[in-house]
Amino acid sequence: MFKLGFAVLSFAALAAWAHPVGFTFTIGNPVASQDFHFKTAAFVFRTESCADPAKAQISATAEGIVKGTRQSVPLRVMAASKPGIFAVNQSWSPEGAWVVILHGICGNESAGAIVPMGPQGFLRESSKFYPRPATDAEIDASLKAMARDIK
Amino acid sequence: MDDREEVKSVLEHLPLVQAPDAIWTSIEAALDEHRSPARRQWQWGFAAVAVSALLVVGYWTVGHRTGQWIETDSKSRTTLRIGEIGFVEIEPGTRVRVPATQPGEHRLTLARGEIRAKISAPPRLFFVDTASGTAIDLGCEYTLSDDELGLGLLQVTKGWVSFQWKGVESLVPAGASCRTYPKIGPGIPYFDDASQRLKDALGNDAIDVILAESRVRDTLTLWHLLQRVPAEERARVYDRIAALTPVPDGVSRDKALRLDPETLKLWKDELAWKW
Repeated sequence: MFKLGFAVLSFAALAAWAHPVGFTFTIGNPVASQDFHFKTAAFVFRTESCADPAKAQISATAEGIVKGTRQSVPLRVMAASKPGIFAVNQSWSPEGAWVVILHGICGNESAGAIVPMGPQGFLRESSKFYPRPATDAEIDASLKAMARDIK
Repeated sequence: MDDREEVKSVLEHLPLVQAPDAIWTSIEAALDEHRSPARRQWQWGFAAVAVSALLVVGYWTVGHRTGQWIETDSKSRTTLRIGEIGFVEIEPGTRVRVPATQPGEHRLTLARGEIRAKISAPPRLFFVDTASGTAIDLGCEYTLSDDELGLGLLQVTKGWVSFQWKGVESLVPAGASCRTYPKIGPGIPYFDDASQRLKDALGNDAIDVILAESRVRDTLTLWHLLQRVPAEERARVYDRIAALTPVPDGVSRDKALRLDPETLKLWKDELAWKW
């Protein structure tokens, strides 16, 4: 029994070593995409650990609070010529507090991210990444934190 | 090429120059002054002649500016249209030249002063020559200034700019700046929000301070520094970058210290996700 448990644990550790991170996103400034079409994008992002990034399903929404009213703006996700790299433009109001919600599906895996948007662009340090879609509670908490910060 | 085609070809490469506001004000004032029918005919005639004259003068001026110098005084500014790919604003106190362009490229020479370029085109279509080297547009918006001595400053607001001089290259992304020096070329770029100590240290070649002050984002500076320091200092710079952010697959310490171009490019492309 002990040996079996040890073997399972060893296999899990080996799998984690061989594939350290599941499907997720990395965000960056538009320059990271190496695509001049994206130079005015709010930010760019790429998929990580997705075997076939060209087939990944990616969606994005801007969630905001403007003058106390909650708003939701579906975003167009633009794909770069290089597979697995995407961009979103700012199509939400410059007023209020906003976060961009990313959701991706790659094969059987799912990934989510909450990217807070500050006056000077996206806030890398306070961005959050999940191995699943972000929950409403997580989005609300991030939005409230943003709204507090910009007061 | 017949005359018409030749003229068309020349016109396609000519920048548009904004007419001074004073001209339009004068025309409008002349039209508004009196509105009697008899005078109106005369005024329309005057306007037509004035506009025709402007067109001729405009063409003449622009035509003669290709290959010649454009100079703004301490109060005036003007805008050049760069083909179909963008605009360059020429700030007061600036002297630039629009040399005859080659097919597939647009070029300016900045002798002194300041220009603001807004270019939307595939990379390497727009070039600005200065005493310190050449700014090569990689799809961007930027400000480039140069003083009488050729000391310059490149500040990029969107996209990338490559600044090159005799094999020395600085890649400057949005949010970063780079000083330029005559007969030396581009300095090491830095993010505008880097610490003042780091910026000052770049001017003094104070490697210890640069390494200590660098954040993850300042790997932009460190990546350039790696290629500019003496060989015996490279390992310290490499180690600092590696301490700030994981070294990606395909980048070996040995190759990086030998400044292998492919390795450096691979590393830069990965580091750019942190910039």
